[in-house]
Amino acid sequence: MKLSREKRKRHTSMESDDGGQQVVPFQLQFDRPLPSQIKIAEWNPEKDLLAMVSEDSKVMLHRFNWQRLWTISPGKSVTSICWRPDGKALAVGLEEGTVLLHDVENGKLLRSLKFHTAAVVCLNWEEDLQSQKNGCDNNLSFEDRTPHFLPPAPRAPRMPGLVSGDAGFTDDGQDSFVEFSNSSHRRFNILCSGDRDGTLLFSIFGIFPIGKINIHLCKIPYMVEDRQTRCKLLNSSIAKVALSKDLCHLTVTCYGELVEDETELGDEQMVGHNMHGLHCLMLDTSIFQKRKNELHQVAQQASNIEELNEVVRASLSVMHKQWSDAMSTFHEKFNSLSNLIVGHGLDSSPQEEFLSLLGGARTSPPVHQFLVNSLGESPAAEIIAFRMGELRGLSRWRARYRGIGLDETLIDSAMEKAGMFLVQVDRFMRVLSSVVQLFSNFFSWLLKCIKLLMSEASDQPPIYNSELVIVFLKFLYDQDPVKQLLEASEADHCIEIDLETTQRIKELIQFGGFSDAKYLQRTLAKEFLQLELSFKEAVGMPFSTISKKIVCEDLLPLSPLTSALPSHVPISVSYYEDTSSIISSGESERNLLIDYISFQIPDESLDIGNCIVILRGLMNAPGSRSRGENSLEAILLCIPDGYYCVDLSLYKESQIVLLLNERRDASESSGDACLMILQATELAFSHISRSSRLNDWEVLQLKDSVVRLEMANEKARSIPHSVVSPLAVSASRGVACVFAAKKRAIVYILDEDEEEEASDAE
Amino acid sequence: MDLEKLVYEKVTEEIEAKRRAGEKIPFHLHTPTTLIGLVEDFNISAKAKFKESSKAKEASPYAFCVDDSLKDMDGVFLRSNWQIQGFLAEQADAIEKRGSSFSLNAFELMLRQLEKLAPELHRVHFLRYLNSLYHDDYTAALENLHKYFDSSAGTEGLDVASPCVINNHGRFEVALLCQGMLHFHFGHPKQALEVLAEAVQVSQQHHNDSCLAYTLAAICNLLSEIGISSTSPLLRSSYSPIARMGTSFSVQQQLFVLLRGSLKRAESLKLKRLVASNHLTLAKFHLMHVQRPLLSFGPKALMKLKTCPINVCKELRLSSSLITEFGSENSVMTTDGAQSTAWLKNLQKPIGSSVFLEETISGNRPYASSFFAQPSSIPGSVLQHIGSLQLVRATAWEIYGSAPLARINTLAFANCFADHSSSADAALAYGKLIVYLATYKGYKAAFAALKIAEDRFLSVSKSQMLTVKLQLLHEHALHRGQLKVAQQVSNELGVMASPVTGVDMDLKTEASLRHARTLLAAKQFSKAAAVAHSLFCMCYKFNLHVHNASVLLLLAEIHKKSGNAVLGLPYALASLSFCQSLNLDLLKASATLTLAELWLCLGTNHAKRALALIHSALPMILGHGGLELRARACIAEAKCYLSDPSFSVSKDPEMVLDSLRQATEELQLLEYHELAAEAFYLMAITYDKLGRFEEREEAAASFRSHIKALGNPQDEVNHEPM
Repeated sequence: MKLSREKRKRHTSMESDDGGQQVVPFQLQFDRPLPSQIKIAEWNPEKDLLAMVSEDSKVMLHRFNWQRLWTISPGKSVTSICWRPDGKALAVGLEEGTVLLHDVENGKLLRSLKFHTAAVVCLNWEEDLQSQKNGCDNNLSFEDRTPHFLPPAPRAPRMPGLVSGDAGFTDDGQDSFVEFSNSSHRRFNILCSGDRDGTLLFSIFGIFPIGKINIHLCKIPYMVEDRQTRCKLLNSSIAKVALSKDLCHLTVTCYGELVEDETELGDEQMVGHNMHGLHCLMLDTSIFQKRKNELHQVAQQASNIEELNEVVRASLSVMHKQWSDAMSTFHEKFNSLSNLIVGHGLDSSPQEEFLSLLGGARTSPPVHQFLVNSLGESPAAEIIAFRMGELRGLSRWRARYRGIGLDETLIDSAMEKAGMFLVQVDRFMRVLSSVVQLFSNFFSWLLKCIKLLMSEASDQPPIYNSELVIVFLKFLYDQDPVKQLLEASEADHCIEIDLETTQRIKELIQFGGFSDAKYLQRTLAKEFLQLELSFKEAVGMPFSTISKKIVCEDLLPLSPLTSALPSHVPISVSYYEDTSSIISSGESERNLLIDYISFQIPDESLDIGNCIVILRGLMNAPGSRSRGENSLEAILLCIPDGYYCVDLSLYKESQIVLLLNERRDASESSGDACLMILQATELAFSHISRSSRLNDWEVLQLKDSVVRLEMANEKARSIPHSVVSPLAVSASRGVACVFAAKKRAIVYILDEDEEEEASDAE
Repeated sequence: MDLEKLVYEKVTEEIEAKRRAGEKIPFHLHTPTTLIGLVEDFNISAKAKFKESSKAKEASPYAFCVDDSLKDMDGVFLRSNWQIQGFLAEQADAIEKRGSSFSLNAFELMLRQLEKLAPELHRVHFLRYLNSLYHDDYTAALENLHKYFDSSAGTEGLDVASPCVINNHGRFEVALLCQGMLHFHFGHPKQALEVLAEAVQVSQQHHNDSCLAYTLAAICNLLSEIGISSTSPLLRSSYSPIARMGTSFSVQQQLFVLLRGSLKRAESLKLKRLVASNHLTLAKFHLMHVQRPLLSFGPKALMKLKTCPINVCKELRLSSSLITEFGSENSVMTTDGAQSTAWLKNLQKPIGSSVFLEETISGNRPYASSFFAQPSSIPGSVLQHIGSLQLVRATAWEIYGSAPLARINTLAFANCFADHSSSADAALAYGKLIVYLATYKGYKAAFAALKIAEDRFLSVSKSQMLTVKLQLLHEHALHRGQLKVAQQVSNELGVMASPVTGVDMDLKTEASLRHARTLLAAKQFSKAAAVAHSLFCMCYKFNLHVHNASVLLLLAEIHKKSGNAVLGLPYALASLSFCQSLNLDLLKASATLTLAELWLCLGTNHAKRALALIHSALPMILGHGGLELRARACIAEAKCYLSDPSFSVSKDPEMVLDSLRQATEELQLLEYHELAAEAFYLMAITYDKLGRFEEREEAAASFRSHIKALGNPQDEVNHEPM
């Protein structure tokens, strides 16, 4: 941080030399060429780091001095990116619906989560502001006991001999992986992702899905001619989502067709003449705020269990593979023996054959390795059980946790399964160890036989137990109990248990044992499947409960569209703390938030060309509307002649950064561009009355009161390039990055105060 | 029970060594006729004996079974010396497994016969020693032990003397080791320690490293099992490295150093079993003790005075790795003959597996084809070790407060290891399960289970079952208000403990804790407080900090009940800090609850604080606490709401009613009349406030019935469960 500021200073002094004549509003930091055009760019909220996605879907991270930290290519088309609020992880949304989480330090893949089926077009990750500020509720934010009692969770072992492209990312990422699991859970945050099909998904910590809503199916309350009705958005696609900092509201801007949903009539009718266009939805997500602590707890435990399930699944499959590899080597060698016996192969010398047999003995190192590997599994099972127990404790707190759908009976049954799995792991370890013992005993016997056959004198004959050789030949030579336990495809295979054990298990039921007396007949793999299933069921309840509690509270049609899907409409949504408004006596502690939505009206619509709209106060509208008040305000700004808006972005303290391009004829390839900053609070907003009819674009009310922007009056700086979107603005760092059409990245420092301070210091 | 295992291991190992050394010499030391005669004699004697007492036959079907198989295999088996030894080894296993239920006299008779016929089989003496040990016959045990070592100490009694393993003095330290453990078994820690210290000296003189390692492990085990008073000079003289450490270390630190040294020694000797057992002892140590740094420099603030649960977990894991490593142990102890005797055993059963007779009768044997139905080839001692490890883990989770994990680990033991472990371990596990049932499911299920378990484990000496039964009875009597019964039971519990200082500390603290609780229930507050105080002093003296936490909590409870909440607060806080440093999360939650109740006693203006405290402990209590604790928390929560002036019942009645309902459900399972009456009373008041009169009457009726039941407990005496 300090270093970067020094660097900035140096750059500033350099620039002022060639600039000279007058105070240029935004200092140029640098202007660098780019290897390819950038389609998405986001500043890290905590550090001077810029993440960019190039046209060929490479994700790059640059320092403020333009030093590249890392580049990754997810292999699929990247459609959106977003930083975690603490700046330590980057979420990358892909065309095929996956969200990847990458470590900021090295770009390693931390998680890959597939919650969507369509392209993830927007991501928004917000942290709960309130808990940071007043730090209260300490008695309700229970700490996680697991790290006190159990070692850190094991990591999924990698499949041996499998080198895939993705493996490069996960390489020895153990520390960062563990670190991620721990650090991400300190503060409650929610990642909201929206896809092209209109599905919105909320996930706590970015990894634990907690709610899902589809805006197509969303019933939108709407007043039509003084009558409350419900509407629907058809064919909608999400453009942008923004979660308020108190997590109570979600603003969704989307394209779609608004229709009235008259269920009693059974048909859908168009509300207005043409309500296809850009709409803004306000969703009530206050459940996240209200049940914050509960959700935090549940997510913390459940996401960890999910992770551990992943680990167990991976280690089971690795164990299976290693075991079957070892076994196939063994059988390869020994099949030749049976051939030999069948064919009376007297030609080849028995010694040679036996020597090749001895190769079979070399299976033991991998077998041993495998044992060590499998040992890693046991703590995983134990941690699963422990966390499940914690979850059960939460589920029993009915007053609090029933509200978020944590069901005691479901958790209980998952707990039972976890217990059975633990016992199964125990049994497996025993079987495995005895099998390995039998194998090694068999090999010792073999070695001795060979030595005898070759009449080789040996001072130390291997010791073996002849009984165990018999057991081996009888039960292991042509059977594979370990494989039976491990193989998922043989999951329905029934393990034979001797009568004594069955009776004991039955007796144990009276001692509070597992009520399912037949569980030892299941294989390990099957038991794990059941554990996973019952856990999913248990976690599914909160998911569906929360999903139901996210409701749409308001809709505001923004602007009509002529084309089905516009290529790019500059939109920016942000929430600011409302300093101007009166702090009402009752809610004195709560910081009132006010939402700002700014967008450019698509050229062809509404007969208002080249204008941008800034709306505010929609969030507070529904409540106040019932009281007859209306806080919704808007302003229509006309872009100076000769320019058009490329992109816009809401910046800190209700400021808006506009990126304008000079209108030129097509022949002239490069024109100048302009970066402009507006203080929204100084603009003359006017109230918008919510019309009672549905077929109105409310923005039209402002048609007569367009405010014209003049280049000379505003804080603006011209850029000697023709620019393209995106415009990346960092509110916390006070910088903006624009991209020139000629593959250049240009960074400006927006925050002059800071700069002045810096020069004062000099 | 580890110690007995150790003796056994040690001795078996020697015999093993002997056998291995003698492998080159064919087993013609005895003339076959003698042996066949012996076998026949066996049968005759056994038959005669068992005819006499068919009850004894039932009591030890195992031994009889083997005898039968001997008869069947007449002249085929038991020809060789080592097979008799295998048989004896098996019997030794059986003795340990079955404890005192193993028939004393029948086996003794057989052993005597064996001794007569084959006087050079010294192991017979050892078995006689074991037999009398498990039947608590001190003199006979000592005598047989002496005999065993007397007769085998020289070279003459051995089949062959291996020069490397057995030198002239080889036996002496082993004998001392065994004697030390004999003393330990009979609860004479002082003598045991003296003898073991001598064993250390002798082993050092004779450079018998492995014996030294075993002796050290035994000392560690002894020290960690018995209560060492912090003032006793017990350790000073015993072992030179400790004596050298001087007095600056506490007893615990000395023990820790000793443990570490013992572990290192075992590791360097590659004695895997010993390593595992040392890890287990270390885990137990970490469980109960705050690890202070041996050398402390710098500011004291850096020291984290807490127990380290992760270390426990780590030690247990290290210990459990024995299951994969036992094969590579330096002294391989394959019990030859174990499998074949198992097969012999199975010959009796129609579904048993058989290798030798496979061709003839394998047709109708579905079980024989499965590997899983086979007796495990893993040595019994390894399984036994893993089993007791499982139990330690369960205990650890009980202490740390994770009820489901404690239950699962106990169940895992009962499912997988119960048939390989000693009867004492099994009784412990079943006792744990029964206590779990009582605290989480109510008495009905627990008493039913206890009945079954009693039949199984009645004969085990110093029975865990008896303790469990007394605990249950006491708890039950307290809940139902039968104070006389409670007093009687707690006295009985106290009598069970050995009078020797430092032995049976758990039982002693348990008994006086229960005594104090009975007094408390009888509202004799000053007496109860006096008992609790003296208990605290004792726990403090013997460094039983885990017990201290609960004693302090009891004191807080006594002051709360006596209406002196202000006096109770410091005790509750002290208990909280103990819990915190020992990671006793469940106890901490219950201390928090008591603290909240104390605050609530101080007036309604503390209701908010009390509620916050309860809420902070609620997930822990609900998730891991027993029925009583849960009900108490629910009632306290409801009380907080009701006494909070800013809370209005009519606005949110379910907040109160739901938790009260939860409480009454749980209390009715427990038949805890006093608390149930309180819950119904609160419920009736709430309904009254809400104007729901019908429900109010219902609650009031339940209240009345519980009060009635509390008033005349003798009505229910005839429903006495046991």
